Amino acid sequence: MIWLSIAGSAVVTYAVRAFAFRVALPTSLPRGVLRYLDALPAAIIAALVGPAVLVPGGAVTRGPELAAVIVVIGVVAWRRNLLAGALAGVAVVALLRLVLAA
Amino acid sequence: MRRLSPQRAALAEGWPVLVTVFVVGTSFGIVARQAGLAPAEIVATSVFVFAGASQFAMVQVFKDGAAWPLIVATVLLINLRHLLMAAALRPYFTQVTIARRLAAAFVLTDEAFAMAIGWFRRGRTELTYYATFAVALYLGWIAATIIGMVVGPSIGEPRRFGVDFAITATFTAIVVLGLRRRSDAVVAVVSALIAAGLTFFGASVVAVVTAGALAPLLAVLVREDGAA
Repeated sequence: MIWLSIAGSAVVTYAVRAFAFRVALPTSLPRGVLRYLDALPAAIIAALVGPAVLVPGGAVTRGPELAAVIVVIGVVAWRRNLLAGALAGVAVVALLRLVLAA
Repeated sequence: MRRLSPQRAALAEGWPVLVTVFVVGTSFGIVARQAGLAPAEIVATSVFVFAGASQFAMVQVFKDGAAWPLIVATVLLINLRHLLMAAALRPYFTQVTIARRLAAAFVLTDEAFAMAIGWFRRGRTELTYYATFAVALYLGWIAATIIGMVVGPSIGEPRRFGVDFAITATFTAIVVLGLRRRSDAVVAVVSALIAAGLTFFGASVVAVVTAGALAPLLAVLVREDGAA
């Protein structure tokens, strides 16, 4: 049974990933659709961030994640540097979790 | 910043994410082993399914004794978000053959998607950035799964060092770097809140695909109001 689960999961996962890559969109789309598609990437990435910041591990954050994300936004807005922002965020989260655990 | 080749840039910017994914992959190996899966099954899952969150869900549902159609349906729901991601990446892949697009689709993950969008939003077009990062992630994920399976429970708790947050921080940075107008920020914040709300109320399986599909509607509405 587990092999059926693995095979089935592999098939549906690949089908979902391949579908939109394979199918061509019409070359001329209404303006509203273009706006929608333009806003889509950031919305998806933000949707991945939201739960990890506000309800990490399924429980409401005690603060470190929220504080860290504010630091990331600040650092990136200031330095325009992806790596600097990411490392600052990790440092803040590690530090605050340590403080809260103490 | 000096200009790196796309391959080098992918690794220079992507390493915190790769390290985190490696840690997550290791814990997948551990968790799957503890759930009673055989080594061949665990490795096959990482090689053929290759989808972090849904692999953990698979193990959980399997442990609960669910029938295989339910396991597959759960995986499908969790991975539906990749439909949106592939649609967003599609315009950048128009110049390459179908075979390459299908290969790109196989290594599509949240992380590879986010890194690629971060790259394209800076006006770069080289697909090698995506390919390098996505393949590195794939190989790292498999290696990490095997390591986790073998070394098992001797690994400590990675959360303590904030390692789990590297992906979230990188994704946040990508969103911030990609902001071009006020409505982008509104869409991002609303999307994050919807996804967090759904997760809080137990709908984490569909949180990302729902929030990701709904929030961009705001961009459409806001713009049309402005034009009117």
